[in-house]
Amino acid sequence: MGYSGARGGLEAILAAEDLVRRARDHAPAPWAPNEQITARFRLAVDRVMGEAGLYHADTSAAALRQAEGDPLEAAHLVRAHRSTLPRLAVSEPIDPDEMVVLRRIVPAFREPDGPQLLGRTTDYTGRLLEQPAGPPPRRSHTPATPPERTETQRRPGRFLDLLRKLDLVVDHRRVDDPEPFDITRKPARPPAERSAALASMARAETGALVALWYRSILGPDGDIHEVTLGEVRHGRLPLRVRHPHTGNPVRVGEFRATEAEAIEDLDGADEDRSRFDVGYGLCFGHNERKAIAMANLDVANRRFGRTGPLEQLLLLTTDGLDSAGFLEHLKLPHYVTFRSMVERKQAMRAAAEAGPRVAEPAGQECR
Amino acid sequence: MTEVSREERCGLLAEAEPDELRALADQCLADGADVRVLVGPEIGFVTAQVREPVAAERFLLGDVLASRAEVELAGHRGWAMRLGDDRASALAAAVLDAEVEAARPHAADVAELCARVARRRQEREAAEWAELAPTVVEFEELT
Repeated sequence: MGYSGARGGLEAILAAEDLVRRARDHAPAPWAPNEQITARFRLAVDRVMGEAGLYHADTSAAALRQAEGDPLEAAHLVRAHRSTLPRLAVSEPIDPDEMVVLRRIVPAFREPDGPQLLGRTTDYTGRLLEQPAGPPPRRSHTPATPPERTETQRRPGRFLDLLRKLDLVVDHRRVDDPEPFDITRKPARPPAERSAALASMARAETGALVALWYRSILGPDGDIHEVTLGEVRHGRLPLRVRHPHTGNPVRVGEFRATEAEAIEDLDGADEDRSRFDVGYGLCFGHNERKAIAMANLDVANRRFGRTGPLEQLLLLTTDGLDSAGFLEHLKLPHYVTFRSMVERKQAMRAAAEAGPRVAEPAGQECR
Repeated sequence: MTEVSREERCGLLAEAEPDELRALADQCLADGADVRVLVGPEIGFVTAQVREPVAAERFLLGDVLASRAEVELAGHRGWAMRLGDDRASALAAAVLDAEVEAARPHAADVAELCARVARRRQEREAAEWAELAPTVVEFEELT
């Protein structure tokens, strides 16, 4: 029992944990190994990797199994595990143009540079629940051999670059190169560098980010008013570090990521109304909802982050461990807190009955 | 095969299968060569730093699990880093890197392993494209 307002209960706590372990680990069903979880629930695994901020499918699969399928609890487990590990290196700056695409669509434009590649998606098919009694019969599948993949098909040109060629987008490119903010070492607080907001969104809880995105469209702030997407990509990016002996970059592997570009109309009095603005989203694994919300919120944050609540909401309310951690802690014994609240009520009542009114006590937070 | 740079070799060994790394490392050490482990093998993470395309700003996307090791074999240092938490494979890859650096008897076998990994990468990409190519779409525009 780690909460300071109460102690004891150790036997019951151990028994409760044992109940979880026995029911989970010895459920009357075949054991689900990591490979099973990764292969059949890849989107859940990817989501955990992104929200935990640690890319490793096996670790996320193990966490999902331990968390009984709760992605937030799984992300918590992975983030706790990550905190025990040393940082071996910071990668060389990754150029997203190097992404080898597994899926790439440009909703804004029919004929962008390179193909519109649907990849693995059910975006265009109806949602009909299938309830097979067992694994569907295996279909023979031998894909035809296509012509060799061209470089444009592997790494299509970026829609943003097309907008730049047409001089239709404001240019935010910086000439300086500030060090990126590290949210794992220091909490990001407003006002923050854009790198802090991007890192926070990349690690945010997907639902929280989507909810904030939707609030920005339909809610009171109206921070997003034109919603058009340039790029939506899922693909593989190389990870390179400096070789300790030669000092040259070494590719140590690759990881999958989802990328989005959101195009926003500029309509403010002090904005260049003859051009568009573009926001950027990138997150681990295949998680299009998150990358799209991030891209829209990136441009909204640039425009309205400091004049409204958006930057504060982004930085302080979208981390799943933060929000769920606070929420979950409310279940711990709050006997002392509540007793003091009751005593304040009783004191007020006694004071009222005694005669002159007293000022309301300050502070009513339940923490 | 054409000779690869040390960086390319490390990159290919980072993608080799655990079994082939360990088997070849065992062969390299079978002659009783003097070997010392200098670093690890240890599990940690590499922080993925991205330069995003809108403002060319760098930001930290997150961390990628990785293992690394460094050895000295016959007076030459070998280094390896691989994604994932397989320490034994990182150690084996470091031994293979040192085998080539020291121009020892199995250096050619390491080069052959690297060539095999490179071929597999190409085959994997070709198979992947065969699955993806039919999903290239050209939507029609309503006018």
